[in-house]
Amino acid sequence: MVPAVVQSLATLQRGVDAEVVSVEGGGAIAVRLLEMGFVPGSHVSVVKAAPFGDPLEFCLRGYHVSLRKAEAARVKVTGVKVASP
Amino acid sequence: MTIAIAGNPNVGKTSLFNVLTGSRHSVGNYPGVTVERRFGKLAPRFGGETLVFVDLPGTYSLTVSSEDEAVAFRALTGADDQTLGTVLLVLDASNLARNLYLAFQVLELGVPTVVALNMVDVAERADLAVDSAALAKALGVAVVPTNARTGEGVAALLEALRTASSAPAPQPLQPGADATAWRDSAAMFDNVADAVRGRWLIAAIATGQLELARPSEDERIALADLELDTAMRATSQIVTARYQRVDKILGQLGYAEKIRGTAPAMSASARIDKVLTHRIWGLVAFVGVMSVVFVAIFSWADPVMGLIEFAVGWLGQQVANGLGPGLFTDLLKDGVISGVGNVLVFVPQIALLFLFLGLLEDSGYLARAAFLLDRLMSRLGLHGRAFIPLLSGYACSIPAIMSTRTISNVKDRMVTILMIPYMSCSARLPIYALVIGALFVSTDPWISDGVDRGLILLAMYALSTVSALAMGYLYKRTILVSPTPPLVLELPPYRMPRLGNTLLVVYDKTKAFVRDAGTVILAFTIVLWAVLSFPRDATGAGGEGPTRVADSYGGRAAQLMEPALKPIGQDWRIGVGILASFAAREVMVSSLGLVYGMEADEDDPVELRRALREDVDEATGKKRHTPLSGLALMVFFVYACQCMSTLAVVKRETGGWKWPAFMFFSMTAIAYVAALLVFQIGRLLGYG
Ligand SMILES: Nc1nc2c(ncn2[C@@H]2O[C@H](COP(=O)(O)OP(=O)(O)OP(=O)(O)O)[C@@H](O)[C@H]2O)c(=O)[nH]1
Repeated sequence: MVPAVVQSLATLQRGVDAEVVSVEGGGAIAVRLLEMGFVPGSHVSVVKAAPFGDPLEFCLRGYHVSLRKAEAARVKVTGVKVASP
Repeated sequence: MTIAIAGNPNVGKTSLFNVLTGSRHSVGNYPGVTVERRFGKLAPRFGGETLVFVDLPGTYSLTVSSEDEAVAFRALTGADDQTLGTVLLVLDASNLARNLYLAFQVLELGVPTVVALNMVDVAERADLAVDSAALAKALGVAVVPTNARTGEGVAALLEALRTASSAPAPQPLQPGADATAWRDSAAMFDNVADAVRGRWLIAAIATGQLELARPSEDERIALADLELDTAMRATSQIVTARYQRVDKILGQLGYAEKIRGTAPAMSASARIDKVLTHRIWGLVAFVGVMSVVFVAIFSWADPVMGLIEFAVGWLGQQVANGLGPGLFTDLLKDGVISGVGNVLVFVPQIALLFLFLGLLEDSGYLARAAFLLDRLMSRLGLHGRAFIPLLSGYACSIPAIMSTRTISNVKDRMVTILMIPYMSCSARLPIYALVIGALFVSTDPWISDGVDRGLILLAMYALSTVSALAMGYLYKRTILVSPTPPLVLELPPYRMPRLGNTLLVVYDKTKAFVRDAGTVILAFTIVLWAVLSFPRDATGAGGEGPTRVADSYGGRAAQLMEPALKPIGQDWRIGVGILASFAAREVMVSSLGLVYGMEADEDDPVELRRALREDVDEATGKKRHTPLSGLALMVFFVYACQCMSTLAVVKRETGGWKWPAFMFFSMTAIAYVAALLVFQIGRLLGYG
């Protein structure tokens, strides 16, 4: 198996189904991200960016959530496969 | 027996609460905090017993990040000195993969719990239906499928609540072998708190909100040695352990595959969002939606406000006719009755704004608005959620300030509250109109008055908007410093809004305003009346008579203040108007009318405009009011907090006089300096 490349959620391509590896850093925001379901193993994909390029909308655990790039950068993911269109 | 209704935001708690209580409830606050608390008795049609329901704030978790979670945790553990019977945990069946997280947090508490598996219709449509018996078995508590919109399943839910009094088998959450941070920090609590509370406090350390958790002395001592980094790692392990439980159940129910990489419950909404959060069309749609809201507020509220003013005037006249002239009549007519009028006149705008905001919130659109505009707000250091309250300030500060409750960070809420009165509200319009109409008359026959005047008006609105943003930027970096709040915003599925539930909210908000702010406004009106009507005039032919405004305390104060008013281009007459308009900005017109000794028609004060325009200073022969002094006056009104009702509402929302006092003095000072700059620089440049 090819070792998966770890990248940040903020740079994830649209259409890629990724898996959460970890949430970096601490504080209220890190806890909130974990509790909203960004735990290791959860699948996540990018839906779109807001009109001014930020925040981003993600699909996670069967719902949609929006994060700013600054927050999304804390979530490390591995791209799994290109989701079917 | 008290039943606390817990659940994520937007899962239908309030809808269920309304069905169970027959929409009869009272609203209060949780002790010591501004979090709203709604409670109500079981509706009679469900049978006679005295079940009391409390609608807890909707939260994603019980970990304290704001007052909401702290309130929910305390209520669920019975720390709020309430006899907690059963927890009614509402889950969104179409969003179980996240909802079950809170479910496990609640089940860990070991209190009797019944699950309402709500939104089964939505789950059905999205092919996400689950077997409730299987879920009940996995969770170890009763699970009842419900549809809070139709009331389906509510009878069965009540049955389950009645029989659920015995505590469920506790579901202790145990650290796994590799969760060393969790083990180590939990050990610190061995003697002072149980495992549940211990975990809760560890997480509160990790979020930096220990104070909100109100730890005891013993707990503080135990926590003193817990390092932030350890607390964070422990919390991460705890959260992951809960989600492992969730994933196990999702696997058993066959739910996990259905949501891998997609959100079936969002498929229709995602199509709508192709337009509504589109790079270009999203913004166009937002402007369209907000325009419709504002046009509706202005065109519906205005006639009703006119009617209220007319009714109040008529009533005052009747009282005056009935009682004959005298001090008591004046007090009743100009103090009490107009005071009540000053309160009621806000009701149409409050009701309409909350109606529209309620419908937009219910439909899921407000979350999109926050998503669209967060970029702009985050530049200021605020959350996208702050945009709508600010925008509402153009209509009226009162409901706008009341609507800041959706901002969870206390400091950011304060920043927003302080910004709102700078937005030019609709009550400033008559003042701009009076001044522009009176003093800005085009001398160039080729340029119509309308164009000039329109541009000046536009400039006032631009000035107010820029100032509000600048003040927000300033406050955020000086007296209310806090990091930009993170945006973790759920974009819920679009739903057809329900008028009924929204009307209940409108009723609650209006009632709270009339009750809490109303008394303050009434008292202010009476004081202002006294200031402008005393001392009594004893020189009249028939003994005591009404006082001329100029001779009243207020009039005298304005004359004394004239040295301060001159540098901003005003005289004592305008000073009286400024003073009187504190009761309500539209009073400016009628009180200036009084000063000039005429009955000014509030809607079209033609004569007053002419009087202002042609008023000449006998000593110098120069006009008293020039376009430059008019501009200075308008600039003063852009900045000044000339509205006691705003102050009354800020007092209600912040629970004291500190912030309203700050708001009043800072805004007045800024208004004065700005008017001074305009007038003096204008003079230097040779205008006026
Ligand atoms: N289709 C459907 N819609 C529902 C159901 N229950 C509630 N809703 C709708 O979902 C929306 C949110 O319901 P609320 O009762 O306001 O939810 P809440 O949990 O009190 O939300 P917060 O006050 O934000 O915590 C409303 O538009 C309801 O009409 C249901 O069973 N089926």
